[in-house]
Amino acid sequence: MRVPRSERILAYVILIVMAILVLVPVLAGSVTAFKPQIIWVSSPPTWIFEPTLENFEFVFFTRKGWLFLRNSLIISIGSVVMALILGVPAAYAFARFRFRSSKALMQWLISLRMIPPIVVGLPFYAMFLYLERGLGIGLRDTFPGLIITYQTFLLPLVIWMMRGYFAELPAAMEESAMVEGYTRLGALWRVVLPVVWPGIVATAILNFIFAWNEFFLALILAGNRTSTLPMSAGTYIVRTRVEWGNLFSVNLIIMAPIIVLTIILRRQLVKGLTFGILE
Amino acid sequence: MSTRRGGSPVNIKDMFHSNASDDQGKIFSTRLYQLTQRHRHWFFIGPALIILLLVVIYPIIFSTGVSLFRVTFASQSRPFVGLQNFERMLGNDDFIQSALNTLYYVFFSVSGSFIIGFGVALLIRRVTAGKELLRLILIIPITMAPIVVGLMWNWMLDPLFGLVNWFLGLLGIPGQTMLAQASTARLTVVLVDIWQWYPLVFLIIEAGMATLPRAPFESARLEGVSSWIIFRRLTLPMLRPVILVALLLRTVDAFRTFDLVRVMTDGGPALTTETLSLYLYRTAFTFNKLSRAAAGSILMLLFIGLISALMFRYLYRDVEVG
Repeated sequence: MRVPRSERILAYVILIVMAILVLVPVLAGSVTAFKPQIIWVSSPPTWIFEPTLENFEFVFFTRKGWLFLRNSLIISIGSVVMALILGVPAAYAFARFRFRSSKALMQWLISLRMIPPIVVGLPFYAMFLYLERGLGIGLRDTFPGLIITYQTFLLPLVIWMMRGYFAELPAAMEESAMVEGYTRLGALWRVVLPVVWPGIVATAILNFIFAWNEFFLALILAGNRTSTLPMSAGTYIVRTRVEWGNLFSVNLIIMAPIIVLTIILRRQLVKGLTFGILE
Repeated sequence: MSTRRGGSPVNIKDMFHSNASDDQGKIFSTRLYQLTQRHRHWFFIGPALIILLLVVIYPIIFSTGVSLFRVTFASQSRPFVGLQNFERMLGNDDFIQSALNTLYYVFFSVSGSFIIGFGVALLIRRVTAGKELLRLILIIPITMAPIVVGLMWNWMLDPLFGLVNWFLGLLGIPGQTMLAQASTARLTVVLVDIWQWYPLVFLIIEAGMATLPRAPFESARLEGVSSWIIFRRLTLPMLRPVILVALLLRTVDAFRTFDLVRVMTDGGPALTTETLSLYLYRTAFTFNKLSRAAAGSILMLLFIGLISALMFRYLYRDVEVG
């Protein structure tokens, strides 16, 4: 559309200010991760210094950051894989089959987005406790326990996103494959999935971001063995003193992969963040 | 569903969806086959549904049950107390305080992020070069873990060496302890929440605007209608469903805020930033009052359910979903 020059300049000025308000805290904070301890808290801030990796080394090895990184990876990837295995076939059924309860079920799935995590976290904590005491089944502070719990927010999202991707494909695709002798599952596996895989990747990445950033459920249900990266960030705050350089190293380890994934995913982001309600 | 098919043993549709072996047409015209075909969707949906019932419905039933008894993690005896826990919760000053804080939080965070997000969505349409880059920078906050955002702003706002105070110092304003004062802590946390989430509104509104038809806007402009009237009479009404989605998502998220407040103020000073999630977490895990926390979380669920049901009904008036 045609925009008057003055309007465009004003838009640029405001947007650039907004961008600076985003970039300054993110970059200035991240820079601290590379500062030697002696200038972590200098005022005015020191901008010229010899960058060092000692904070990362300390966080990664002395404070067992590699362990938290490993835990975060296992939990995030594990819960996304589980959500995909359960969610993709369900999404396919919602997109292709007509059945009476489908609309109500899809709406119910969106309504799950409204549930406050405390409503889920508390009973799960109690359930894990009772299972352990009563039946000797230990799920507290284990990967399977967290991976199952994470399905509360991952699975509905996978179903909604994937249903959108399946609905974009013509139904004739698998029907002609079935005429040629494939079963429906065979057609889904060999004909449909190879075509929707970009959608699956987008779904997987977005769900990975949510699982990776999750804090509340992990705080309640994880322990020494399964602590995640976001939980470990909190350990660098001691009431009187914060180890800023170390803290920002952890922050950077949490943030960097997600920012890269976001750049890859940016076009699909809205769909996932809005549960595809806008479609 | 079943009555229409009663007449013929195999209809065309079933043939079409059949698998390879029944093309040979042997025993598959039986009722059993029809039954499995008619309910085949459960085969696909079933596993997901079972897990969802476990991770969503079970907790709600459990919380409701526990809220009617007096259960703690320490004690074995669990007397039935009826609605006593709910009464205690509603009569508890701290609970009411945290509920009011949450409402304050929801109101200012949602309206703030909505206005800024909408504004940015309108502005970015007027930009040509560098649009992609600007958009990419602006959406960085939503991809960050709220706990990281909180820790980062703690550092920015530090009274001694934080960039915000350093900047204020350049303007001649003395150092402030925004997070430690009861008068400013709540607003400061809300501002950080807005900082993180206005890009979500921006993305949703921008996506919504991209789907609007061009014709009505062009003809209005040709007729010399002012841009303000176009915005009021065309853009806003046509965007209504999109706006509702944005408001709904923001409301739900602001309502259950935990991470950000937990790392920035942990409810303090003097409970001025205590949100419902934080208060219930503390009730259960610090004070070991499981039943009361369960009662509180059920109240919270009912409340957010009511709000979103109202918004949903408004939304479904013009959007087809499902």
